[in-house]
Amino acid sequence: MIKKGYILEGDVIVVDRDWTELDEFVKDFLGILKDYSDYLIVSGFVSIATGRTRGTEDVDILVPVMDENKFRDLFSELSKKDFWCYQGDEVDEVYGYLQRIENIRFARKNEMFPNIEFIPINKNRKAKYFEFTHSQRIKIKDFEFKIPPIEFEILYKEIILAGDKDIADARHLREFFADILSKEKFKEYEPIIREELK
Amino acid sequence: MKPKTNLDYVVLYARALRENNKLFEQQKKLIEAQLIGSKSLFRKMFGSGEKFKIGARKYLRGRGLIK
Repeated sequence: MIKKGYILEGDVIVVDRDWTELDEFVKDFLGILKDYSDYLIVSGFVSIATGRTRGTEDVDILVPVMDENKFRDLFSELSKKDFWCYQGDEVDEVYGYLQRIENIRFARKNEMFPNIEFIPINKNRKAKYFEFTHSQRIKIKDFEFKIPPIEFEILYKEIILAGDKDIADARHLREFFADILSKEKFKEYEPIIREELK
Repeated sequence: MKPKTNLDYVVLYARALRENNKLFEQQKKLIEAQLIGSKSLFRKMFGSGEKFKIGARKYLRGRGLIK
């Protein structure tokens, strides 16, 4: 019997497929992060998780800036659970990046890719903060995680990122989710995203 | 629609995937093949443990990915 690629269960998108190793990597990282912070997965992994067939090196995750003690605990837990940070082994040094709102990256020990691009956000990053506070839940088997509204993700890729890979990702999302996309949401999100160009 | 460009193929594939989840099996194979290739390459280049981190950071600095 032929089954659809996804269904909606209430407001959760359920993608009907098996996990990949990339999913398991993200699941393991979120399993730790969620004990310390809220988060939002954005960009390439959103497209790949929903069927875009392309390689990727990184998984982008928005995380609100957290206080130093909480980050210290998170960093220690990640290290215990076999992740390493590109930027350094000393938490004081790495926390400086977050204070400057600069991204850091984590991979599994003895591996370079895939990596988590840990993107600190605060209320000054308006478009990012908006998508962070308007998340969409998505599930692959029992792995549930948060992504931006699909319409927001499409427009962000088309208007802000706009590289060949991003345009292809946006086309994939437009087609794969054609049944559920909302014109009203596109209209609502476009000015918020265009603000980022100013 | 007869696909002509890369984007046409992206659209065609997404449409087929929306209607038939069996196509995810191909996607899984491609994604995992890339990950296996990458793991093997960097293990060969940098070894493991502290040696891996030192080599990897040197490589990442060279590519401008870290300071």
